[in-house]
Amino acid sequence: MATYRRGRGLGDRLLLLAVVALAIVWIAPIVWVIGLSFKPNDVLMRSTGGIHLPPFTLKNYVDIIASSQVFAWMLNSFIVAIGQTVLTLVIASLAGYGFARTNFPGRNVLFVLVLAALAVPEQAIIVPLHTMFAAVDLHNTYAALIAPRLAFPFGVLLMTQYFRAIPAEIEEAALLDRASRLKVFWRIVLPLSIPAQATLGIYTFLHAWNEYFWPLVSATKPAMYTLTVGLASMQTNFAQTEGIGFLMAQAVFAGLPVLILYLFFQRHIVSAVAGGGNK
Amino acid sequence: MVRLRISSGRTGSHYMAERAASGIGLSRLSNGLFVAPYMLLVFGLLFAPLVLGIWLAFQDYDMLGGWAGGVGLENFENLLDDKIFRGTVRNTIKFVLMTTPAFVALGLFLALALNNSLRRSAILRAIFFGSSVLSVTIVTLIWRLVYLPDRGLLADILSLVSLPSVDLITSQTWALPAIAIVTVWWIIGLPMTLFLAGLQQIPPELYEAAALDNASRWRTLTSITLPSIRRTIIVVAVIEVILQFQLFGQALLITGGGPDNTTRPMVQFIYEAGFRDLQLGFAAAASQVLFALMLIAALAQMWAGRRREG
Amino acid sequence: MAELSLRNVSKRFGAVEVIRDLSLDIPSGEFAVFLGPSGCGKSTLLRMIAGLEAVGSGEIHLGGARIDTMAPGDRGIAMVFQHYALYPHMTVRENMAFGLRNIGTPPAEIERKIADAAEMLEIGELLARKPTQLSGGQRQRVAIGRAIVKQPRAFLFDEPLSNLDAALRSRTRIELARLHQRVSSTMIFVTHDQVEAMTMATRIVVMNQGRIEQVGTPMEIYQRPRTRFVAGFIGAPAMNFLPVTGVTGRGGMAVARLPDGSEVATEVPIGAVKAGATLTLGVRAEHVLPGNGAAAKVDVIERLGERTLVYANLSDGSAVVYDEPGDVQLSVGESVALTIDGAAAHLFGPDGLALHG
Ligand SMILES: Nc1ncnc2c1ncn2[C@@H]1O[C@H](COP(=O)(O)OP(=O)(O)O)[C@@H](O)[C@H]1O
Ligand SMILES: [Mg+2]
Repeated sequence: MATYRRGRGLGDRLLLLAVVALAIVWIAPIVWVIGLSFKPNDVLMRSTGGIHLPPFTLKNYVDIIASSQVFAWMLNSFIVAIGQTVLTLVIASLAGYGFARTNFPGRNVLFVLVLAALAVPEQAIIVPLHTMFAAVDLHNTYAALIAPRLAFPFGVLLMTQYFRAIPAEIEEAALLDRASRLKVFWRIVLPLSIPAQATLGIYTFLHAWNEYFWPLVSATKPAMYTLTVGLASMQTNFAQTEGIGFLMAQAVFAGLPVLILYLFFQRHIVSAVAGGGNK
Repeated sequence: MVRLRISSGRTGSHYMAERAASGIGLSRLSNGLFVAPYMLLVFGLLFAPLVLGIWLAFQDYDMLGGWAGGVGLENFENLLDDKIFRGTVRNTIKFVLMTTPAFVALGLFLALALNNSLRRSAILRAIFFGSSVLSVTIVTLIWRLVYLPDRGLLADILSLVSLPSVDLITSQTWALPAIAIVTVWWIIGLPMTLFLAGLQQIPPELYEAAALDNASRWRTLTSITLPSIRRTIIVVAVIEVILQFQLFGQALLITGGGPDNTTRPMVQFIYEAGFRDLQLGFAAAASQVLFALMLIAALAQMWAGRRREG
Repeated sequence: MAELSLRNVSKRFGAVEVIRDLSLDIPSGEFAVFLGPSGCGKSTLLRMIAGLEAVGSGEIHLGGARIDTMAPGDRGIAMVFQHYALYPHMTVRENMAFGLRNIGTPPAEIERKIADAAEMLEIGELLARKPTQLSGGQRQRVAIGRAIVKQPRAFLFDEPLSNLDAALRSRTRIELARLHQRVSSTMIFVTHDQVEAMTMATRIVVMNQGRIEQVGTPMEIYQRPRTRFVAGFIGAPAMNFLPVTGVTGRGGMAVARLPDGSEVATEVPIGAVKAGATLTLGVRAEHVLPGNGAAAKVDVIERLGERTLVYANLSDGSAVVYDEPGDVQLSVGESVALTIDGAAAHLFGPDGLALHG
């Protein structure tokens, strides 16, 4: 028994060692890049070695603040991400409640269609979608950046699932308490769904913040770029660039909001990902 | 005793007919209003473009020349003849074959190692998941720098062990694997999380029973844990295949499809055909091919998974 | 005048008819218990009264007004649900206030009503808590409190005791009976537990397969079951049923012959017996008297403390359970002699109906 125990302890230690080594591989590029963002560009032109040694500088971050462009992109990203999040929460909650708790002619057929929509990837529709928005001259607007994602069914299915799990008795009790159907939704069901709202909201925000393909083809004017697209537009001629430190400061700057969000809402994000899976 | 007033004004026959249907489960057209906003969106912005896209695939339509009528299968024939397109199909499939096993194996390994309530495991999970909240732009910024042949982190590390630096990005052999490594680094959090969720579903009594049966650790893994998460393994593999078929941003931003088109994925082809060359019909046809390949790959995997189960 | 009146109410779910043409009058102030096995339609009936389920056909009237066409909240009814259905995100006080606010009750009056109910139910200290911070019994009281403050015409309870432990259940039974005496509203209580029905009801409605089998006071139901189903469903241990091999008349009353040849002189008029009908004799354990009579062999002995149930086989093999005192000296296999008290025995016809005078 004693030898058996020792064997298990050794195995555990080796496993831990392997995982920790992997974790270092995972985190090293990020730490390195954060380090570089505090180095003067002319030093980085020659070598990127010794990031822990001076000289250090805040100039790269000062330059971001001085460059109105990056700020404008960030603002665009905020408007798009917040808009998409709020609208998704409202629309998905209503639809989820409708599917989970109300009955109307054609409900089951519509629900099957929503399930089927899960199988449609963005790439299969992006060309015609672009044509449609071009036809009504909506490109380079916030509406065009926000709207297409609202059609994807993940949020509706998540909310449907959640509402189904709330006992119907509670809503019935409220009906007997003379609450209208809308009041039941507003005063009883919505407050009870706050955990799901938080999960869906944070997930949607992250997704919108990081979205690349659609903003790339829809927002063609630099003033309408989101941060993701804007940063990508500056990546050409990378090896020759004189501003590695500046670029890295932008990467850190752009990544900061999501990393902060992640630190605070890790549990929600992970559970949304586990539940959402393929979207 | 105060009684609730039953207001007489509201018992008109219209009211009666409507309110009689007030029970929770009753079917009423007005309940459809709850789903109406979303249904408008999904029909207008998902099903409509899907149908339009299928139609476009059979048209000669480019943004500059305008619509020149239906052309039957010509777009698809042109795709077949297109050396670059065939190359993108090859590259995409290669990429899927490289990344999917890596995601399944590494994701499962991490989940098995970190499936406990220790604090250090929580921190490690957070580290492995954390990179997936970054956008593709940031990830490629970081990794292009890491891969820089003269000043990159990789070159620094290689020089530490006195190895010559290599320029992965311009190598026809190494560019695609380099993109695969970036991708695994980026979103290993998804398969890890799905596997962790699967492991949590295994009833602890199974392990207690195995322990009472003197099962070794390896034995427990192979005859309890892995069979219990069979379905999760299939799900993860299917999801990863679907996701990795959609390779786009990493390739576009790290290599631009080069060197010599060896890393150009199908989505980039669609992007360039549709949004650079403005050949909408041609691009739509390529989209349908991608969609079909993804469906076939996913269905084949599910079928294989089910057959082995039965 | 009947406070609650159901007139030819039917309800079907798809092809299944759950309530079949059911009519019932419950006088004002009664404590009526709907009693029947699981799945017989009790909850469905209650939910139709509450308006949570639409009636298929028929009408429901409460206090003279037709209510089946009204919205649930307009009917003047309060319901206590099986799982209590407290609003989880509201405090106990808010739970009780919600319905009153919805009808525009002035805040001061709401406060007063909550205070009164809280005092009556001894939940004053719990008012600021959320439902998750309460025990099962406390939640139960809050659910009742939420119903009381509305001062409804009728209280509906759907198996509200089934989630409580045995001790709490019997305490709550007594409290509910006391509550009924205090508020004097009509109460309708659904259960499959005959003990709850017997102890609390002023009137029991026995249901089976969507129909009413019998309506009556607890003792009426116990002593004069209208059908074999009621006779078998009420009482523990279940009534003994023995096949009748022949009937003769004596002094105008029916005398039933049992398979072992013994005879039981009942008080059922011989005129009620149709010639040639196959009858069943029913008799409760306490009316099978040991001492002398037909020979039987003890099969199983069940000691309950204050009484002992003895399961014995008559000479033809048919099983009978009867009562002995708690400390009776008996052993399995022993021979006993049994007499059936004919005055307390029932005869059931082939249609399951009891034969009465
Ligand atoms: N919403 C429903 N849809 C279909 N069948 C139902 C529904 N509600 C109840 N039933 C069926 O109706 C019968 C009576 O149910 P219920 O009234 O809940 O019985 P009880 O409360 O007496 O146990 C059962 O057979 C049940 O399966
Ligand atoms: Mg029931």
